[in-house]
Amino acid sequence: MAWQSPNGVLQAMQSVRRSLLRPSKTSTYPITRTAAVPSLSQQQRTYATEVQDATEVRAAPEIDFSTFHSQPTRIIPRSRSYFSGSPKFIDNILGLERLLAKTSALPTVPASEAPRKAWLKLAQFRDYVGEPVATKKYKNMLKLLQRLNRIDPEVIPAEVTTMLTEFLRPGNPYSFQPAPPTVDEMGRARGRGKRKESSAVATVVEGEGEVMVNGKTLAEAFPRIHDRESASWALRSSSRLDKYNVWATVRGGGTTGQAEAVALAVGRALMVHEPGLKPILRKAGVITVDARRVERKKPGHLKARKMPTWVKR
Amino acid sequence: MVSSFCWSCLTRLPTPRPLLSAPATIPRAASAAASFHTSTARAFPMPTKKSRSLDSGPKYRQAKSARMKKKKPTDKPRPPPIGERKALRKRIVLSNPNALEVEGMQDFDADTMVDSHLHGDVLGLPVTMLDQLRAVQAFKPKQGWSIFRRPGTVVRRETLEMGRLFDRISGDGADKGKVVKKIVTGPKGSGKTVHMLQAMAMAFTKNWVVFSVPDAQELTLAHTGYAPLSDEQPDLYVQKDSTAALLSRTAIANQAVLKDLRVSQNHPALKTPVKEGTTLEDLTKMGIRDPALAWPVFEALWTELSATSPAAGFEKSFKPRPPMLVTVDGLAHWMKNSEYLNMESKPIHAHDLVFVRHFLSLLKSGSQNPTLPNGGLLLYSTSASNKPSLPTFEVALEQLEARQAGVNPSSAEFPQPKAYSNPDPRVLEIANVSKPASAKEGPVEVQTLGGLSREEARGFLEYFARSGLLRERISDEMVSEKWTLAGNGVIGELEKLGKRLRVAAQ
Repeated sequence: MAWQSPNGVLQAMQSVRRSLLRPSKTSTYPITRTAAVPSLSQQQRTYATEVQDATEVRAAPEIDFSTFHSQPTRIIPRSRSYFSGSPKFIDNILGLERLLAKTSALPTVPASEAPRKAWLKLAQFRDYVGEPVATKKYKNMLKLLQRLNRIDPEVIPAEVTTMLTEFLRPGNPYSFQPAPPTVDEMGRARGRGKRKESSAVATVVEGEGEVMVNGKTLAEAFPRIHDRESASWALRSSSRLDKYNVWATVRGGGTTGQAEAVALAVGRALMVHEPGLKPILRKAGVITVDARRVERKKPGHLKARKMPTWVKR
Repeated sequence: MVSSFCWSCLTRLPTPRPLLSAPATIPRAASAAASFHTSTARAFPMPTKKSRSLDSGPKYRQAKSARMKKKKPTDKPRPPPIGERKALRKRIVLSNPNALEVEGMQDFDADTMVDSHLHGDVLGLPVTMLDQLRAVQAFKPKQGWSIFRRPGTVVRRETLEMGRLFDRISGDGADKGKVVKKIVTGPKGSGKTVHMLQAMAMAFTKNWVVFSVPDAQELTLAHTGYAPLSDEQPDLYVQKDSTAALLSRTAIANQAVLKDLRVSQNHPALKTPVKEGTTLEDLTKMGIRDPALAWPVFEALWTELSATSPAAGFEKSFKPRPPMLVTVDGLAHWMKNSEYLNMESKPIHAHDLVFVRHFLSLLKSGSQNPTLPNGGLLLYSTSASNKPSLPTFEVALEQLEARQAGVNPSSAEFPQPKAYSNPDPRVLEIANVSKPASAKEGPVEVQTLGGLSREEARGFLEYFARSGLLRERISDEMVSEKWTLAGNGVIGELEKLGKRLRVAAQ
């Protein structure tokens, strides 16, 4: 309470005097208030001493900022990066770096084993902080996040986890894991494959190597022997050609595309029967989808890239 | 009026000298443009300007366009003589001296063709039979006979079944003199033609008479002459040359059988009466010599071969007739309009050609006697590579198969032509076969040839390996791979895979 100090008492006395001169509705209050305060009698002594030597100069007591209840003259920003272009972003980076420095000694796991997280995308992050953020800087921030994410999940501190969740996209897109395909009650496994414009669905059952494509035998469906070899490549490369029967439906594209789409579909269906074949099939090239498609033709070009012959005029 | 001008005097005129002769040398001073430094000009000749045709002013009376160099006419190689290209195209090579001789390969004979131990093996065709088989054109140019040392065929399940059938028809059992009628179908390269070749080889082994139409299309392509059969039947057409060719094939291939058989019937259709004691070979040769007589001779020959007893007066020299094998390849071409035109320039249906009509009538059941009274086998095959689009014929085949499977023709499952598809009633008629009156006659069956089994495929690929064509180990895995690649063991595809040159990766 300000008026317990000598200075405050002085002020109070002044205000009493002023109120006597200009009577108002609330004027009686300080008087009664002063009279009611019991400590006033104890303060008498101080008051008396001050009156005794008023000429003596004393330093003002220290300002107590904790009780400073009016606006200061100069507003001090809470964040030190307030005067930079993107304070919130820099704060985030600083916070992450501080965390990383704190937790750098903790054990990490390889990136492949770290829990998969969907970080905010750049546009989302810009909305989140409401500041312009450069792509490269954001990427650097992502590196920090990924490094923090690699801390062994068993020892990761709670503050890191809470910090990381701030940068996650709402709703975890990686939480949904489709059920692994299984062989159905009839012993069939299905796989789909695509190549160029063709898409194939293959049903693989245990059998003795009969292959039907679109209801036709392999020889009728693919007149070229090379295409037949590619269509049955998944079985051939894993030496399972005489152990499974294949029923494939393939649509679109030409013969080569169709044959290779069938190969992919058969490879995936075969993995349902025997998941252990995956490394062999990957080596055989029937796991990875060839995403290449025909490049579109552009205006002004004769084909996708070809330009008309240069003519002087 | 004779000209008074003396031509001979003109030729004697001396050659005129040119009026303006160019000077031999141009003075150097004139050629130099400016002779300020005469000494250098004299010492070095002025560089001559390259003269271009348009530089020195327009040239009149000369062509200004770019002059094309005339090509000298090169001596073109003369085209090969007429018929040589076709002969080359139709040439059949049955032997390849570079191929290895397969040791221990057995020949096709009466014992081996029914021996089930040989199932899956390749049997060689006897050398003595090759001429007969060539005569009936059992070999086709595009078949791969020329890659092996000698021709051979795989003994597949159908072959063994057919061998047993031949045994039963020729033997003395209950099936003696039976008539079996089959339409052979199957996918491309499944061995339909070779199946017929095996049938012919069996027939020659058993001393049957073989009639063969190696290419049904040739009769409907309008490549041979045709004429109305007679004034009474102007809508029927006879093909003399084709019939003569058929007689010639039959005579050469069956010479051994025909020369022992003698005429036993009266043939009023033949202008000259046939003497008693004439062999059937001689009768056939009459038709070959004179194509105008070919059709009546063929009819006479057919009557003779299907005779079960001699006519009056011919009893002395009568011998029982052997069973017959009739093969037709490419049956579908007989199920549509031919390329021939009638008097009104309308297409003639193939069934209106007597030749075709005769062979198709054999599919129908005989009224009392079987169509082949002495027994025999009809093998008519379709072709998958040379196949006209004939929905009606396909439906007819489906109907035959349904009958064979015991489907009631009045039931809903019985295949019918599509509504509004305008089916050919004459084609549907072949599927509409009444139940044979005679117990000796079987109904028309449809036999579908598929792929080989794995054991047969293995035997076939081993034959390639032993001939030195396939340089791979014949393992189970390899056989099953080829079997799958060949569309479940289609033999034509297996052959392609077997003879493909494979170079091992370095």
